[in-house]
Amino acid sequence: MLAKREDMILDELRSIVGKDNATAAKHIRYAYSYDLSFVKPKLPDYVVMATTVEQVQGIMKLANREKIPVVPFTAGTNIGGLCIPERGGILLDLKRMNKILRLDTESHYAVIEPGVSHAKLATELYKHNLRWSWPVGPPSACSASCAISHGIGGLSGRYGLNSEEITSMEVVLPTGELVRAGSCAIQEDAWHSVLPLPQLDGLFKGWLGTTGVVTKLGLRVHPIPPVLKVFTVSTRNIEDMVSYVFNLGNYEICDDLTAVSWWLAQVPIPYPYTPKPDDTPEWFCFGTTFSWTEKEKEAREEIWQNVLKEEQNKGTSIEYAEYPEEALRARTQLPSQIVGSTKNYTKMAGGGISWPGTFTPVNKWAPVYNKWKDILIEHNLSPAVRVTNYRGVHYGMLRAMIPFNKKSSAETENARKAIVECLKVDLDAGGIPYKPPVDFAVEINKRAHPGYLSLLKQVKKLLDPNDIMNPGKLGI
Amino acid sequence: MKWEISTLEELEDKIWRCTACGNCKTAYKFGPPPAFGEICPAGVEFGFDGMMASKGKIAFARGILDGELEWTEDFLDAVYKCTVCGGCQNQCELDHKPFIPEIIEAMRRKAVAEGAGPMPSQKKISQSLSAYNNPYQGPRRVRTDWTRPFKKAKKPIKNINKEPADILYYVGCTGAFNLPARGVPTATASIFQKLGLDFGILGENEICCGSTAMRIGDAEEFKRVAEANLEMFQRLHEEKGVNTIVTSCAGCYRAIKKDYILAADYDKIMNGIRVVHTVDLLNGLFQEGKLKFSGELPMKVTYHDPCHTGRHLNKFEIDEDGSKLWKGAYVGLNEEDCLYDVPRELLKAIPGIEFTEMERIRDNSYCCGGGGGVMTGYGDWAAKNASRRIEEGMATGAEHMVSICPFCHYNLNEGSKRIKSDMQLYDLVELLDQVIPEPE
Ligand SMILES: Cc1cc2nc3c(=O)[nH]c(=O)nc-3n(C[C@H](O)[C@H](O)[C@H](O)COP(=O)(O)OP(=O)(O)OC[C@H]3O[C@@H](n4cnc5c(N)ncnc54)[C@H](O)[C@@H]3O)c2cc1C
Ligand code: SF4
Ligand code: SF4
Repeated sequence: MLAKREDMILDELRSIVGKDNATAAKHIRYAYSYDLSFVKPKLPDYVVMATTVEQVQGIMKLANREKIPVVPFTAGTNIGGLCIPERGGILLDLKRMNKILRLDTESHYAVIEPGVSHAKLATELYKHNLRWSWPVGPPSACSASCAISHGIGGLSGRYGLNSEEITSMEVVLPTGELVRAGSCAIQEDAWHSVLPLPQLDGLFKGWLGTTGVVTKLGLRVHPIPPVLKVFTVSTRNIEDMVSYVFNLGNYEICDDLTAVSWWLAQVPIPYPYTPKPDDTPEWFCFGTTFSWTEKEKEAREEIWQNVLKEEQNKGTSIEYAEYPEEALRARTQLPSQIVGSTKNYTKMAGGGISWPGTFTPVNKWAPVYNKWKDILIEHNLSPAVRVTNYRGVHYGMLRAMIPFNKKSSAETENARKAIVECLKVDLDAGGIPYKPPVDFAVEINKRAHPGYLSLLKQVKKLLDPNDIMNPGKLGI
Repeated sequence: MKWEISTLEELEDKIWRCTACGNCKTAYKFGPPPAFGEICPAGVEFGFDGMMASKGKIAFARGILDGELEWTEDFLDAVYKCTVCGGCQNQCELDHKPFIPEIIEAMRRKAVAEGAGPMPSQKKISQSLSAYNNPYQGPRRVRTDWTRPFKKAKKPIKNINKEPADILYYVGCTGAFNLPARGVPTATASIFQKLGLDFGILGENEICCGSTAMRIGDAEEFKRVAEANLEMFQRLHEEKGVNTIVTSCAGCYRAIKKDYILAADYDKIMNGIRVVHTVDLLNGLFQEGKLKFSGELPMKVTYHDPCHTGRHLNKFEIDEDGSKLWKGAYVGLNEEDCLYDVPRELLKAIPGIEFTEMERIRDNSYCCGGGGGVMTGYGDWAAKNASRRIEEGMATGAEHMVSICPFCHYNLNEGSKRIKSDMQLYDLVELLDQVIPEPE
């Protein structure tokens, strides 16, 4: 009986997307059962590739009727097992919805389908001297997924999260209903802004694909000023780096203001843990600034020199530093194949990476980092930590990139345990993890205000009455 | 003869180095300006992640090794739907990078060893190889059909079994048996004669290099022909004075350069013998001023880099003893053997030629779709993919496309016909032959 139902569903899926675009073949399902992270592999029951909005609607109507889970997928590089199906169902691969529908070079926004990769968008934008806030991830991963997952990139120091760059969206709800948020909801062809309407786009951002399938997305894009200057310094400890980042961050002159621990500045991250040489600073920082003229660059440089002097006068360990060449290229030439290929993260460890990736206010970086360091070293893992300011000093990002040897289940579990332990420390200090795997979601919910959980459940129920969208990921 | 051809199990450690980052799914270079393009013919056609790039192929390999995937008809089909072009390999930066084509072929070897592979349509390759020593079911005597015009013109080509010569021109099965590709050996021999090179061919005694057998996982058939060839090369060197083996076939070139070195005695056997592609030999003569052109070829052309004369010839540095990075680490690559500049320089030197580049070139060239047994196994898909490449060529404004591989020659011309394009694929030697004058 069961087999019959499965066949019937597959037939119906094929009638929606065409025979070659839906399958239940195990080898195809297997390739979607794992990702880079420590999250345990799980198989979807079907894999379906959609190319049109109507097809997505058809799939959702079928899934909702049959109460089959649906997991939206574009490249699966989220490092949190977010596209690994917790409860089987349909893996909805959207990579072929890959059209750039509009590039408004005057009003500086693009309208894209979910399968548009960073590499494709960057190539197209560059033709108009435009850019976006590219993450330091694989160029083949997709921009829309990054934006709706509160992703961050090389311009986040200036403009904030990539989800703040969203100007409009079209979404297929779990019921198959087509909805819109932002200006495109009022005027079919207007994709320029989500404001001043109620921000309904918030129903689909940071929800880990559990509330609907985004089928079109408007994104703000930005001009590329021609003059790049990278400010590079080092300190002997995190406290001195925090002082500097606060100071320089106040001026809001950097597109990206990031500091990394010695272990993360290595290409690749040492695995297992290797002590840092005593005579080397522990923290390196780069601040990228783009200017329109040499004069503007000099003015920015003057600010930086003053900050550097101020910090030296405070008696901190700050010094001008040469940032390691390959690591610097990897983080300033974006999208980057160096980082995208995971070379600088896991080349030595082999196969696996996960992270406690969090938003943590700058004044909490030092105490959390010092505890993380202890935990990670205890697990024989390098404390390869990154801290970044977004939107001036508003958001602080704190993240440890943890590579591990995926061939060994013991080493994978060791990494998982260390990461979850780090996460708890950060949550207790007021940090919030981003793109959280289920293990993290559980920890978040343990600490959550009952009203938050109640609202979360109510909204989820409203949008997804049968709990079919990426079920299980919110840990509720 | 002892061979070091890895099994899938022996490659397991490499297979686990893959992070599933998917970097291999598209070709991308930062530039500036940035350049992006689809790189995986299988991914473009079939779409699912398992079908796409090394991310997918390594998932299959993992599935086999952990016992999750068994040889079903569909799975076997998926393993063979790959041109082994190495486009994906070019994007990867991790320690298994040098082994990516090896991993794909090791899966196929396993399939063959376990009685599942190759695909039914490809079985005739193996059968033909053992019956005829070529993959085209061509009788031996047909191998020399292309030489008839030379005999007629009273310019016979030396039979190296009978007369000594400095150069062995190893023709390859495609040039000899595939009618539309016969222009390649004809032009090659014509040029060599005009240049007065001392060369000969094996004629009816030539046997397949084994490339196709290796690509489809038939290691036994590959070894049989490769051993016979290696022994023959050694004999020709010792008895007939052959110091150079030259071929115009990218597949043979790749096989002799990259697959034959898996023979434990390769260095000993090939000591004193140089293996070169025809365009490399001609370029050497051109640089020395010994190759001159007369007349003009007013033609706007673009150039297609065959996978087998390009990125397949990368030399990978691996830290074997752990002295540089760690044991088994991929350290870097050397492109000195890759024929990227040589054909372009020769092509641009032809008077009247207007040269234009496609977007996906050199190490990121988009495969014609014919390799890895795909032309035999999936002819329609091979031609469809070739049409995509032809369209890319047409978009440059070029009238014709040039390459240096009889496989690409056949497949791209099929692709062009399929979309009723006027664009023709010429082998570089076919153009060169038209502007290299007869000796005075
Ligand atoms: C080495 C490395 C470095 C990285 N660095 C960064 C970084 O600096 N900044 C950053 O932001 N990210 C980073 N990432 C994570 C990731 O690469 C990016 O965020 C990427 O853009 C996500 O795209 P994807 O196509 O892989 O998304 P996926 O992993 O396929 O999807 C992400 C989430 O979105 C959901 N989803 C996908 N499509 C839709 C849709 N259409 N509608 C609704 N839900 C959907 C999925 O279910 C999932 O929950 C990094 C990853 C790696 C491997
Ligand atoms: S083969 Fe290389 S590039 Fe492709 S997914 Fe694996 S690690 Fe990434
Ligand atoms: S070798 Fe070529 S066809 Fe095969 S997976 Fe890699 S890119 Fe695709």
